[in-house]
Amino acid sequence: MSYLNSRSLVAVIALAFTSPLLAGDDPRHERHELMEGVGDAAKPIGEMLKGERDFDAGVVMMSFETFDKAAAQFGDLFPPGSETGEDTEAAPAIWEDRAGFDTALATWSDAVDAAIAAKPQTLEETKPVAGPIFDACKGCHDDYRIEDE
Amino acid sequence: MLISRILRGGVVVLVVAAVAAWWITRPQMIAAADLPDHRPDPVAGERIFWAAGCASCHARPVNGKRAKGDDKLLLGGGLELDTPYGVFRVPNISPHANDGIGEWTPAEFVNAMQRGVSPDGRHYYPSFPYTSYARMPIGDVLDLKAYLDTLPPVSGRIEAHSLGFPWSVRRGVGAWKRLYLVTEPMAPGASPTLVERGRLLVEGAGHCGECHTPRDRFGGLIRDRWLAGAPNPEGKGRVPNITPGGENISEWSAADIAYYLESGFTPDFDTVGGSMVAVQENMARLSADDRAAIAAYLQALPALH
Repeated sequence: MSYLNSRSLVAVIALAFTSPLLAGDDPRHERHELMEGVGDAAKPIGEMLKGERDFDAGVVMMSFETFDKAAAQFGDLFPPGSETGEDTEAAPAIWEDRAGFDTALATWSDAVDAAIAAKPQTLEETKPVAGPIFDACKGCHDDYRIEDE
Repeated sequence: MLISRILRGGVVVLVVAAVAAWWITRPQMIAAADLPDHRPDPVAGERIFWAAGCASCHARPVNGKRAKGDDKLLLGGGLELDTPYGVFRVPNISPHANDGIGEWTPAEFVNAMQRGVSPDGRHYYPSFPYTSYARMPIGDVLDLKAYLDTLPPVSGRIEAHSLGFPWSVRRGVGAWKRLYLVTEPMAPGASPTLVERGRLLVEGAGHCGECHTPRDRFGGLIRDRWLAGAPNPEGKGRVPNITPGGENISEWSAADIAYYLESGFTPDFDTVGGSMVAVQENMARLSADDRAAIAAYLQALPALH
C-alpha cells in the first residue's frame, strides 16, 4: 500500500467514526443555523424599537412565528456527543443542568406564545410583549452560552 | 579603615534610599476641610451606583454565581478575582458598622474612592478602580456614599488578598500611584455638553478604561491606547476596541451603542456576553440621556486600530 493510499485509508476511517457529526444534520450546525435565523428575525423588531425602521405588524408577527418554530425545535439539538467541537458556543451547563436549560427554553417559548396571542398592532403594543422574549434570549445566553472571543 | 568608610557610606546611601522610598510611597490624601460644601443626595447617588458598577464586584455571590436582581444591593463582598498578580478578594462595602463601611466619614470614603487610601492610611490595590473614580466630581462621590448608606447592612468580613511578590508589598502601590493615578481627562478636546457628560461617565464612574485599555508591564494604563481594546484580564480572548476604529463598533451608530447598553443587543441582534453582561445590566439602569452621552463620547474619540 502506497503512502498516499494509507493516508486516505486513515482519512476514510476517521470519517467513518465522525461522519454523523460531519454530515448536514450535525446538531451543532443545525442549532447554530437556527439561532442565526432567530437573530435575523429579531433584528427588524429591534430596528423598529430603535426608531430606525417603520413599524410593520406583519413583519413583527412573522418574526414571532420564526421564534415559535425555533423554540419548538431547539431543545432537541443538544444530544450527548455534541458538547464540543465545530466552534460550538454551547456551554457545558446545558448538559450539567438540563432541567435549568429546559426551564430557560420554556421561558422563551412562553414569552413567544404570549406575544403571538397578543397580535400587537402598534409599536407601543409590541414593546411589552417583545421585551420578555428578548430578556429570555439574554438570560439563557448568560447561563448557557460560552463566549467565542 | 577604607572598608569601614565604604560600609558607612553604603549604610548612608541605604538609609537615604529607604527614606526616599518611604516618602515617595506615602499615601496622598484629600483633607476633610477641602471637601466641597455639598448636601449629599441619595437619589442622585443611585445613578452613580449603577454607573460605577459597584454591585458587579461587591454584591455577595449567590450560590457561587453573580448576584441578580435585588441581591445586587447586598454588598457583602466575597467575589474572588483570579488575576496574574494573585487572588483579590472583594471586601464588604455594605453599611454594616463593623464588617462594612457604615462608620466611614465622608472624607474617608472620598479618599478610598479617589485616592485609593483606606481609613487607616494604607494603599488599596488598583483592582479597585480608584484610578478611574478619581475623575468623578466629588459631589457624585458624596451622593454615592449617601445612597450606599440606605442599603441593607451585610455581616461578615472578607479574607485578605493572596498576592505574589512583589505585588504583596502594599506600600509599593504608592510608587505605582505616582505614575498612574492621574485625574486629568484621558480624551480631552471638543467638549460639547453631551460628550462631557459621557466623558465623566466613561472615564470616571463607569471605569470603562480599566478593561478596554491595555496595560503596560507595571499594570498601568497605556494612555495612547485609550479604549483601543486589551487582553481579557479574566481569561482568554480580548476585550474589544470601543473607539470608532474598533472592528465591530465602527459600524455602529450612536443609537446602536445606546440601545446595546440599554438592551444588551448588538445591531446584529446578538446578545452581550462575558463580563460585559453585568456592566450592561448596570448601564440599563441609567437614563436614556446618560446612555446617549456615553455613545456620543465614544463616537467623539480618536479612531484607533
